[in-house]
Amino acid sequence: MRRTLFSAVGLLLGAMTALAADTIVFGAAISITGKTAKEGGYTRDGYQFAIDKINEMGGIKVGGKTYKVALKYYDDETKPERSAQLFEKLINEDKVNLLLGPYGSSPTGTAAPIAERYKIPMVEANGSAESIFSKGYKYTFMILSPARTYLRGIIDAVLAKDPNVKTVAILGENESFSKEVAGGAAEYATEKKLTVVYAELYPTNAQDVSALLTAIKGKNPDVILGSGHLQDSLLIVKQAKDLGVSPKAIGFSVGPSSPEFSTNLGKSADYIFGATQWTEALKYNGEDAWKTPKAFGDAFRAKHPDYKTIPYQVAESAVAVIAYQKAIEKAGTIEPTKVRDALAALDIMTFYGKIKFDSRGVNVYKPMAVEQYQPDGKKYTVWPQDVAEKPPMYPMPAWDKR
Amino acid sequence: MSSAEFGQIAVNALMLSGILALVALGFSLVWGIMNIVNLSHGAFIVIGAYLTFGMHEFWKVDPFFSIPVSMIVLFCLGFLIQRSLINQVIRAPLLATFLLTFGLEILIVNLLNFFFKADTRSVMTPYSGTGFTLGPVRVPYIRLGALGVSIVLVLLLAAFLTRSRLGRAIRGTGMDIDAARLTGVKVTTIYALTFGIGASLAGAAGSLLSMVVPFDPNLGGGYTERAFVICVLGGLGNVVNVLIGAAVYSVIEVFVGSRLPALSQAVTFGILVLLLIVRPQGIAGKSFS
Repeated sequence: MRRTLFSAVGLLLGAMTALAADTIVFGAAISITGKTAKEGGYTRDGYQFAIDKINEMGGIKVGGKTYKVALKYYDDETKPERSAQLFEKLINEDKVNLLLGPYGSSPTGTAAPIAERYKIPMVEANGSAESIFSKGYKYTFMILSPARTYLRGIIDAVLAKDPNVKTVAILGENESFSKEVAGGAAEYATEKKLTVVYAELYPTNAQDVSALLTAIKGKNPDVILGSGHLQDSLLIVKQAKDLGVSPKAIGFSVGPSSPEFSTNLGKSADYIFGATQWTEALKYNGEDAWKTPKAFGDAFRAKHPDYKTIPYQVAESAVAVIAYQKAIEKAGTIEPTKVRDALAALDIMTFYGKIKFDSRGVNVYKPMAVEQYQPDGKKYTVWPQDVAEKPPMYPMPAWDKR
Repeated sequence: MSSAEFGQIAVNALMLSGILALVALGFSLVWGIMNIVNLSHGAFIVIGAYLTFGMHEFWKVDPFFSIPVSMIVLFCLGFLIQRSLINQVIRAPLLATFLLTFGLEILIVNLLNFFFKADTRSVMTPYSGTGFTLGPVRVPYIRLGALGVSIVLVLLLAAFLTRSRLGRAIRGTGMDIDAARLTGVKVTTIYALTFGIGASLAGAAGSLLSMVVPFDPNLGGGYTERAFVICVLGGLGNVVNVLIGAAVYSVIEVFVGSRLPALSQAVTFGILVLLLIVRPQGIAGKSFS
């Protein structure tokens, strides 16, 4: 209750400062209610946290002038068509200076053409589908590592431990994001001279993948990669154990980063790799206000004591604001098209990793991190090597030899 | 396909068909006897899964021992729901029972969502994931146990329906409700009993499923669909028809799933449509007898 009141006051203050001429206002439609309300909340908290930090430190210096920053957001109720209307409203009625992205790939997809039409940049932190960036938009920028690269870190980690790995099997959910992940993984594996011995998709809400695993068992791959959602990853591990499918490594794009993964699997979660955009344990050293993931995490928890671990959505949303800060400082103006050019040329290191966009506006330069459950019952960040907490444990012992 | 893979696929299909037979049996009983397509069947399965999960989590009850508890609780629930709700619309057109059971499904799933959250759950025992190998084929203990429980319950139900007075009364009511009434059968009680038995079988299936798949409150919908397909495939007739339907369904799902997983549902439902055109009464008989 106190937090609600607090944020209400914050919102009011934000709206009031927005009226002042010396304030840069970022506009966003975020899912505060509806299906992705939780993640939308993380997004909002991340944006606001970075904005407060910039103001605490005095604001953004543009030429000789110092601007305060503020966030103006509306609830898109997790409806992509609603977020499009709200972005129009933010631009036309609220006259916001710059845009921050909504939560999720589909609302980001509907917001991008609006940013394009009004020539106002949008830095988005929560829509990883690359399809958004295949349309030649010039004003949308993605902070995230895109879906295609999700499983690269796991492939790299395994190859670093064992250069003799030859074969990989990939099974993915038949759904757009997971398909992009699986396709990207197969491409990367081939590039790394691995043979993809099995690549199939299973239907959404699959209740039984024993048929796929039986086929995979016959191929005896060194590595099994899964791209689906939490329940699929749990099902694959359970049934792999049931059927005695024991490759040298198992990795997933989605699932292991959630605490439910180990509560459901217990010791069976050991040795399993999971991809993640960011963790607090990464040893990045950036040129932003916090510099390291740990410092960011501690500072955020100090302000939001109800967060135990910091979801990556918070970090990526906060860093979107930081990208703007750096770009505006470099542009020396808040004129949207100039800020857009500065974003396109941006090349900085942050607590979240490297931020640099390719010609489409995608941050392909930040590597995906990898987490692994290890036999001491804890989850460690094991990749990228130079910024990891611990080295990965490999190979995974056979299920019956533990 | 190597012979080892073929053997494994055959074993997978056999074990899947055990659980699916149990899922479909309660559904087909209610449909065959009462002419109600119970769309809340899946929700009963989920309740069974949560009962087993809860007893294992809080009192460390072995999941196999919680099956009777699931069955008793679900029997009572089913009995009460039939007496208090479904009985009100039993003479109404089919659409009314459709709507009522559909609404019940939504209500139960949302209540479960409220009390247990949408978090994914699994029942993990020390013997989860262990099994023995039969040549190149691996047989997991839990799936084997689930198959065993299914077989026992199927046999018990078959014996109950054919050997006991009550069972014969249930079948008699399904065949001719007026004749049954004339011979002194209390139809409302028989209906409530039938619905209760259907629900308790769903509860047992839910308990077994909780050991095999990770689940959340939305687990059930897919199983109502499967039960429906199995009943149509096999025909409503009797217990044997349901077993045939479950076996055919499992073989299709597992074999297609191993070759063309992305198409497994399309192929299964494609065969269903074909069968409805060619042999609308199902592979075997028609009315429950």
